[in-house]
Amino acid sequence: MPITPMEIYKLLPKTNCKKCGEQTCMAFAFKVVNRDKQIEECTPLFEEEKYTKQKEQLLEMLEPLKEASETGLIVDESKCTGCANCIVVCPVHAAEDAYGSGSGFGPKIDDPIYRLENGVLKIINVQRCRRYGKNRILCVACRENCPSDAISFLEG
Amino acid sequence: MYTCAGCSCLCDDIEIETEKGDVKTVFNACRRGAGIFLNYRLSRAEPMVDGKSADFEQAIEKAQELIQSSEKLAIYGLDTTTLEVQELAIKLAEKKGAYIDDNSTFCLGDFVETILKGELPSTTLEEVKNNAYVITYWGSDAYHSLSRHMSRYTYYPRGGKRQRGYEEDRFLVVIDVRKTHTAKLAKKNARFLQIRDDLELIEAFNQALDGKAPSIFVNDIPRILKEMEKADFNVIFGGLGLKYGLKGNYDPFKNLMARLNERTGVYFIPAGCHPNMRGFNELMFEKTGEINRYSFREQRSSDEFAFHKLLENDAIDTAVIIGTDPLNSLPFEYAKKLAKINTIVIDPRETFTGRFAKVVLPSAIAGVETGGTMIRSDGVRVELKPLFEKEINDERILGRLLEVV
Repeated sequence: MPITPMEIYKLLPKTNCKKCGEQTCMAFAFKVVNRDKQIEECTPLFEEEKYTKQKEQLLEMLEPLKEASETGLIVDESKCTGCANCIVVCPVHAAEDAYGSGSGFGPKIDDPIYRLENGVLKIINVQRCRRYGKNRILCVACRENCPSDAISFLEG
Repeated sequence: MYTCAGCSCLCDDIEIETEKGDVKTVFNACRRGAGIFLNYRLSRAEPMVDGKSADFEQAIEKAQELIQSSEKLAIYGLDTTTLEVQELAIKLAEKKGAYIDDNSTFCLGDFVETILKGELPSTTLEEVKNNAYVITYWGSDAYHSLSRHMSRYTYYPRGGKRQRGYEEDRFLVVIDVRKTHTAKLAKKNARFLQIRDDLELIEAFNQALDGKAPSIFVNDIPRILKEMEKADFNVIFGGLGLKYGLKGNYDPFKNLMARLNERTGVYFIPAGCHPNMRGFNELMFEKTGEINRYSFREQRSSDEFAFHKLLENDAIDTAVIIGTDPLNSLPFEYAKKLAKINTIVIDPRETFTGRFAKVVLPSAIAGVETGGTMIRSDGVRVELKPLFEKEINDERILGRLLEVV
């Protein structure tokens, strides 16, 4: 299940103390989901005892963040059947590997984002994804065309 | 580059890394295809005579003996083997005056027959990739049965006249009785028709073609027809759902295709599973004018010569089973009769039928240990290249069996 900023916000102190450097707790929650900020930067949560329960819940909730790649992409290999829909629809593949994965074949470039290895999807070059880096585009083409929900993104 | 003989897609862009005579990594294959290469060493068959292990020569001599003494022989299977092997098997059946049948009897053989007879217009998957606009999956869950079908040949790839990708240059229609995984892909520029009866839907299409309001899917059917008229190249992939929905009467579907083709170009390709089923059908059609369930003794094809019917009627005394597992796949009431007759199993892997067979002859896996030619579901010939060469394969075994007839 994707994590939403609202779920995180509900468990934050909601005091807008600005100790983390953000104007509001809601803004901080957004940055945590996008992994621009770490939850540890909310110092009152870790220092003040009254938040202990909330802190534990939050840490548990944020556990999947560690498995996700830099773009928030999670591939569940147990659900993947290797249909390669995601590889062919990927706009980066279509632009840079038009005669390979853009035309339905296996990737013919050296550094594709995705590749089928032993029948399941593997992420190889996540830094080429349009979701990577500062000026990202929140593209969901691969997830939209995965009928078995093997691909998911953290922010939903 | 290797060809995967896992299903009738016959993807020929598989790359394989080997290490010390073993497969290390398989690239570009789907889960089923990769499994064939990765697990090729597992559960391999051993030569057996009367349930006890024997050496290969003993097993082949016993098989020759059984064939020689047989009066009513049947050959069954063959869909996972190459054309070269099928040719030898047909030759064996012809010389012996035997029955020959494959899985197409209850798979998509009937559709292949109509295409070979020219009753339904067909095309190739390359043409589909380059030209097709409306792509219909009728009674077929391609996502599971032919995993790379949509991404490699039909809906997703860009090519020829269809450069803008699936969102703008394709229109997907999925027709099925339940919301399958393939149906989940019908989102933008697509329609999913959840039907109860195929004949009812054909009737509704006919009503729409007559200019009346269809009885079901009042909005969807006119929209689909309008989309079909936008392009002169559309395609219908028919699966087992369509075959069994038509209940043996193909005329309503043929009429619908003819009526659609008066307005626009609509082609038909069977979306089947067995890698070389169409190959067997084409070879038989060239030789006899029929595609399966054939008796060389009586020189005709009939329903009663289907393998399960032969078993039911106790019409055979010996069966040569090549590359299939009838005890596992046929209903038990038919399959149990296999125990009463002499069975010769030729298969690279251990099978359930093999455990009860008189003779088991281990062969080689097509596409991994032996090469050859196969015919894809659209009728295109695809070459197979072996990864590791194995000395004993189906061709050699059948060659030896042919010596005695």
